[in-house]
Amino acid sequence: MITRRVFAGLIGAAAMLPGLGWAADMPAPLDNPGDVKVALVRYLSTGDFFQAYLSGVEKQAAAIGVDLRVFDSRQDAALQADMVDQAIALGVDGIIIQHGLTESMQAAAQRAVEAGIKVVAFDVNVENDAIPQIEQSDRDLARLALEQAVEDNGTEFTAGYVYVPGIAPLDRRDETWVKVKAANPGIKQVAEFGTLDNPIANSVANQARSVLSANPSITVMFAPYDEFAKGVKIAVDEAGMTSQVSIYSADVSTADIAAMREAGSAWKATAATNPAVVGEVSVRALAMLLAGEDPGHNVIVPPTLITQAMLNDLDIKNMEDLGKKAPAFAHADVAVPDWMPLPAR
Amino acid sequence: MSDQAIRLSGLHKAFGRNQVLRGVDLEIPAGQVTVLMGANGAGKSTLVKILCGVHAADSGEITLGGAPLVANSPSDALRAGVVTVHQNINDGVVPDLDVVSNLVLDSLAGGGGVFLRRGQMRARARQIAAAVGLEIDVRRQVSDLSLADRQLVSIARAMAHEPRLLILDEPTSSLSAVEADRLFDLVEQLRDRGVAILYISHRMSDIRRLADRIVSMRDGAISGVFEDAPLDYSGSVRAMLGHEITEVDIAIPQPGRPVLEVRDLVLRDGARPFSLEARENEVIAITGLVGSGKSDFAGALFGLAAPVSGTMRLDGGPHAPASARAAIDAGVFLCPKDRLINAVVADFDITRNLTLPFIARHSRLSFLSFRSERATAGRMIGTMGIVCQNPSDGILTLSGGNQQKVMVARWMAEAARLLILDEPFQGVDIQARRDIGHKIRETSAHRATIVFVAELDEALEIADRVLVMSEHSIVGEHRNENIDVSAIMAQVVDAEPARAAGQ
Amino acid sequence: MKDTSHLIDFAIKYGFLLLMAALIVVFGLNAEGFLSPFSAVFILQSVAITGILALGVTATLVVGGFDLSIGAVATSALMLSAYVMVVWEMSAGMAVVLCLLMGAAVGLVNGLLIVKARIPDLLATLGMMFLLVGLQRIPTEGRSISTGMALPDGSTAAGIFSPGFLMLGRHRLDLIVPDLLPLSVVFLVVIAVLVWVFLELTRHGRLMYAIGSNAQAASLAGANVNRYKIAAYMISGTLASVGGILLAARLGRGDVASGNNLLLDSVAAALIGFAVLGASKPNAFGTAIGALFVGILLQGLTMMNAPYYTQDFIKGGVLVIALVFTFALSGRGGRGRG
Repeated sequence: MITRRVFAGLIGAAAMLPGLGWAADMPAPLDNPGDVKVALVRYLSTGDFFQAYLSGVEKQAAAIGVDLRVFDSRQDAALQADMVDQAIALGVDGIIIQHGLTESMQAAAQRAVEAGIKVVAFDVNVENDAIPQIEQSDRDLARLALEQAVEDNGTEFTAGYVYVPGIAPLDRRDETWVKVKAANPGIKQVAEFGTLDNPIANSVANQARSVLSANPSITVMFAPYDEFAKGVKIAVDEAGMTSQVSIYSADVSTADIAAMREAGSAWKATAATNPAVVGEVSVRALAMLLAGEDPGHNVIVPPTLITQAMLNDLDIKNMEDLGKKAPAFAHADVAVPDWMPLPAR
Repeated sequence: MSDQAIRLSGLHKAFGRNQVLRGVDLEIPAGQVTVLMGANGAGKSTLVKILCGVHAADSGEITLGGAPLVANSPSDALRAGVVTVHQNINDGVVPDLDVVSNLVLDSLAGGGGVFLRRGQMRARARQIAAAVGLEIDVRRQVSDLSLADRQLVSIARAMAHEPRLLILDEPTSSLSAVEADRLFDLVEQLRDRGVAILYISHRMSDIRRLADRIVSMRDGAISGVFEDAPLDYSGSVRAMLGHEITEVDIAIPQPGRPVLEVRDLVLRDGARPFSLEARENEVIAITGLVGSGKSDFAGALFGLAAPVSGTMRLDGGPHAPASARAAIDAGVFLCPKDRLINAVVADFDITRNLTLPFIARHSRLSFLSFRSERATAGRMIGTMGIVCQNPSDGILTLSGGNQQKVMVARWMAEAARLLILDEPFQGVDIQARRDIGHKIRETSAHRATIVFVAELDEALEIADRVLVMSEHSIVGEHRNENIDVSAIMAQVVDAEPARAAGQ
Repeated sequence: MKDTSHLIDFAIKYGFLLLMAALIVVFGLNAEGFLSPFSAVFILQSVAITGILALGVTATLVVGGFDLSIGAVATSALMLSAYVMVVWEMSAGMAVVLCLLMGAAVGLVNGLLIVKARIPDLLATLGMMFLLVGLQRIPTEGRSISTGMALPDGSTAAGIFSPGFLMLGRHRLDLIVPDLLPLSVVFLVVIAVLVWVFLELTRHGRLMYAIGSNAQAASLAGANVNRYKIAAYMISGTLASVGGILLAARLGRGDVASGNNLLLDSVAAALIGFAVLGASKPNAFGTAIGALFVGILLQGLTMMNAPYYTQDFIKGGVLVIALVFTFALSGRGGRGRG
């Protein structure tokens, strides 16, 4: 299975063949992309989302033909800052900062900018005007999922909510939930719980079961993170409340698709941005910066609503199917100037 | 000088319902060695612990030089000039540090500043060592030292405090005769400097050598004070035990057929080969200094380490056990020395300690039969005369003597071909020593018995034959009849300088 | 004075059980539905996996060791079972057997590292933990395993978690109420009883306790200390893999996880077990009660809507109280580890 990287490389090579033709059309310094070094400095890397993000970055980098280096700090904030310095020392032309803490990354990002390196940041605010922020719109994610919840259940229902404060994307999703509750006084939230103890799904399942037995009137569970939703689904199934409770969430993976498509599954809908697409957009935004173009300060990758019905109707079994059969999910028309080569599909 | 004396009056102490001290009145004059004798459980240890600040007395008063001694903690006591050298050597030293750090440890713990000044520390340590005639490289790690050297380090450390009262709790229990002599010289020096010395010991040889006065303790009170020369030793023992020591009469029985035959055994490179024979119905004592090879011989017989060369035969067949288990299965049992390290399972009760080696006999298809265990425990407690409330009490609730009886009983519960006891009287009061000795002789008819002891008294008390070990070889053999003690002593001690020179 | 010492004896022996009873009463009065059979079963199910792991840790604590790798063994078993069924498309039986073998093998390696290579237990099992956390990610490059996942060669994994396997974590037996008792709880109870019988009623358990208390004495009494130590780590590894199998059956997918929380929760349960009935030593009954205690506490707090961060705090509090019961009140010092 170590061949995955090779596989990505092959795809890249395949893209390179026609790409040779484009290369001449790409603006400097990308007219000679093999000499352009780009670093991806990661804070989070474990889990499907981050793997898919990485594959998107790899594919887009291969499509353009730049030399990609991946630095992985594995949730060590200090190490991540050191890795930015390492990348600077390595003489890279561009850096993608993927997640991290504002406090630790702000200064490091500033040093990179001062060294004349182009930088984009995904899902971490480095408080720097020279650095475009790549974002998946968490507010839109929550909005899409909750709109579906209201469409399915009306504006009056008893809800349980899974939330762990202090995690930036979850906090942004929470803002939307607070707004929706304010706009719909008929939505009654009777329980709020959540944990990031791993395996997260198992820990959340234990909590959710307690919540369901304390509050048997719950009909809607809003779990705006797919690990939460997985845990809630286990608990709902174990409590025998599958037909009564509907789960709405954010994010998606192959395993999530399988869980949503189980017969009579309580998991009704999820809103998601394709992490691979976010990865591609990150590279494209950086490429635009390198070419002297402005991708805009906030580069937002729009989410897609994925419902149980849609998965069943299109017979989508995994993320690949989802990409093929739901085109809105496979590609985002963001940061795509005319000269930009796209990964082969 | 009597104003320098330590005076205890009306000291009471109870642990729960157990009244340990029932009004102790005692004076320890400066410039004299006061020997404190008492059977285990008489309250000696508690008295020492009160003096050195570990426990507080329930009532009563202690004065030091006329002023009340208030010692709420060991460091208080130390500051007041009460210094204690404990029986357990590793209580007195920190094995992972070097000698320097050990010698100046107390000033480290109490001193100011953060950083260590090695040079200054080393100089001070040399000074302390020299003051007590301790001749070792102060930069060595304490864990690399022999037990005897560790003991001397811990005593040197205690003496560095300029003590007014020095308490020595069985300080010679791990020392060889030569080393003990060095200690006695030190004690006498200190006495001459005017230090009050409280010396706790069971060993008559120590007591004869050092005592200016003898205080006997019994059941939590002082039962006799002897200070008129010549000291009344038998009176002090009588006061301690309630009856007098009588010389043990050994009637040497007719030995049976040979059990163990050792031919040309070499225990370590360069040692002289030796041979011996042990017969049924015979108790052999092997005596010698610490380090003379007694434990190595026991280890070879019990399968802990193979000898360099030579043969061992058991009941005519070859005996070369590869492990303790193999030795046990062959009928060779070893009751090891240093029971707290090598024998006592502290978490277990008396019964479980007793049944440990032969637990398989008390189980069927691996499942334990508690009834069978209880029966064996009850039987052995009875035959060994172990004093306990209940066989299910924790082993550490017993006195040292009774703990040792349990350890011996453990190996007497099954029939042995060869029973080896390594220092079975270590840390045991006289009564328990008698009991254990009797029991060993009484049961020896159908096996050979070898007892390793450093104390000649103990050897004479128990053996039919006394062998002397030196430099990892047997250098003398004596039938225990009208025995010439001085000849044995010569064999024990005289070989020693030769060994030292040989190294 | 007699009364106080009686009181302390009583507190040492029954204090923890009384505390648990009080907790049940408090939650019963304050959290609606806490005192239902469902709630009881929920609690048991929530502690089933950590409880089984904790029983494994107990075995290593008994011989005076410690196993930090159990969390990682459990999550490795989770990944392995998923890999066997989804990627290799083998049967549930194969998955279970391979996981158990993996757990036993890890225990064997741990034991050999400690006994033969003489690496201190904490360090050896810590190393093993890192090794496994990394190893479980290599075959899938860090992704979770589920049916339909894309494989590196471009195909999709067609294997499924067989219903028989999922039953292990999801099936419920009828007990008074239909569909009440999950199989995982049955496993917990059976394993707890087996471990208890092994440690308390067999000579092997007796010798393991002797080794934990004084290995030198046990060795001189003829016990094969090394073999028993290795056996303890193999028990620990095997039970951890059982925990991982149940986790996989419950989640229905192979999730990448370090298992650190599983480790900490199960160690906490085993240590709390020291305080139960004043044992002052590792024991199977205490460990089971310890796991149950944590489960009751978390269930009750969650039902009363206590925020998530209070839970770790409370867990820590319980552990500290238990250690006070064991070490300070009982005065015999217990023996902790080592």
